[in-house]
Amino acid sequence: MKSVRIIIVSVIVILAVLSGCALYYMWKTSPDVSRSTIYDAKITDISPMLQLCSVEILEDVPIKASVGSRHLFASMAVRGSISFDIDDLEMEEKGDTLIVKLPREIVEIRESTEPGSYKVIDTWNDKLLGSSRFTTAEENLAKAKVRDNYRRSLYKRGYVSRARKEASVNLTNMLSAVTGRTVIVTD
Amino acid sequence: MFRTVVSIIIVLIAAGCSNEEPARKLYTEVKSVDKLLLAQMTVTKMASVDDVSIDDAKGMKQTIAALADAVKIGDRKAAYSYSTYIRAYMDLSELQPSNLLVDDRRKTIVLNLPDVKTEFAGRDMEIKEEHYRVSGLRSNIRPEERAALKEKMNTQLKKEVRENPEFQEKLEAQARGKAKSYFTSLLGRDGYEVIVNFKSPSL
Repeated sequence: MKSVRIIIVSVIVILAVLSGCALYYMWKTSPDVSRSTIYDAKITDISPMLQLCSVEILEDVPIKASVGSRHLFASMAVRGSISFDIDDLEMEEKGDTLIVKLPREIVEIRESTEPGSYKVIDTWNDKLLGSSRFTTAEENLAKAKVRDNYRRSLYKRGYVSRARKEASVNLTNMLSAVTGRTVIVTD
Repeated sequence: MFRTVVSIIIVLIAAGCSNEEPARKLYTEVKSVDKLLLAQMTVTKMASVDDVSIDDAKGMKQTIAALADAVKIGDRKAAYSYSTYIRAYMDLSELQPSNLLVDDRRKTIVLNLPDVKTEFAGRDMEIKEEHYRVSGLRSNIRPEERAALKEKMNTQLKKEVRENPEFQEKLEAQARGKAKSYFTSLLGRDGYEVIVNFKSPSL
């Protein structure tokens, strides 16, 4: 009688262990839960251009935004570039010399595509139990302000004047290499 | 005894001070480049947020999540999109006067240009909300969730661009066409024929 009881208990224990293993295996091998669907990328535009890029910047920028008592703190990797449209350059020929006027700079500021380029670190509300939610429009507005401030900072820190100096040298080298003439770039 | 207590207090204060976290240094890189930008491609990526449907659930995790979502009161649906920019350029630092060959007898100018390269030139800072409907007792979509979604979209987009040569081929064709027309018009004079060649990419 005692040995029958031992066998029954053993069978139950073995079955329990086996079912546990089976459940664990099913859990581990089942696909992860995702509540988002990502669609294929679509090419919406391809445009030719002719720009001379002389300076590129990659920088981490903190974002602090407040709407009433709600606040957001995030970090964003910004990718900036300073270029010059040379498609329609003002050129003047003086004998064998080519005199070229450097056009106005194009300052482009975007979010980097490097992994982890935009991270929301904290959102909070000063009021107890108040919602800390930021809508997409509010978040976009905060980012637009960051872009405007960042653009101003590029001028303030002298990156644009540095880009103009380097573009003058690069344009001189390019045009003299392909035309074989003396080139003077005026700024 | 008093001396020992004072020593312990001083050590604790010193330890407390040295535990102060150093201010986080933000990364900045400013580099001088000599690039001739020839073409830009805009690639748009879209993603939607929705509950897991019981019909589409595969495996244990998704079935449990689908059952949990089914009992929640209300809907939680949204769609977002943004654009990423890829550009084609030529590194002008590789261009030397020896790349230009003029044959006055045959009246030809041969220009050997560096290879056209492509790179990611950033993405939109803003994310476009194409659709948003959160009803009942469901939680709103928070900035953290949108940031994580954008990260996933970015990873997938980069994979698509890497695996599908169509993106690069289209952009490079456009860039080569632009470079050819520009340098031909710049060099074409006195009845000289301009031949523009591109260095093939090194493997």
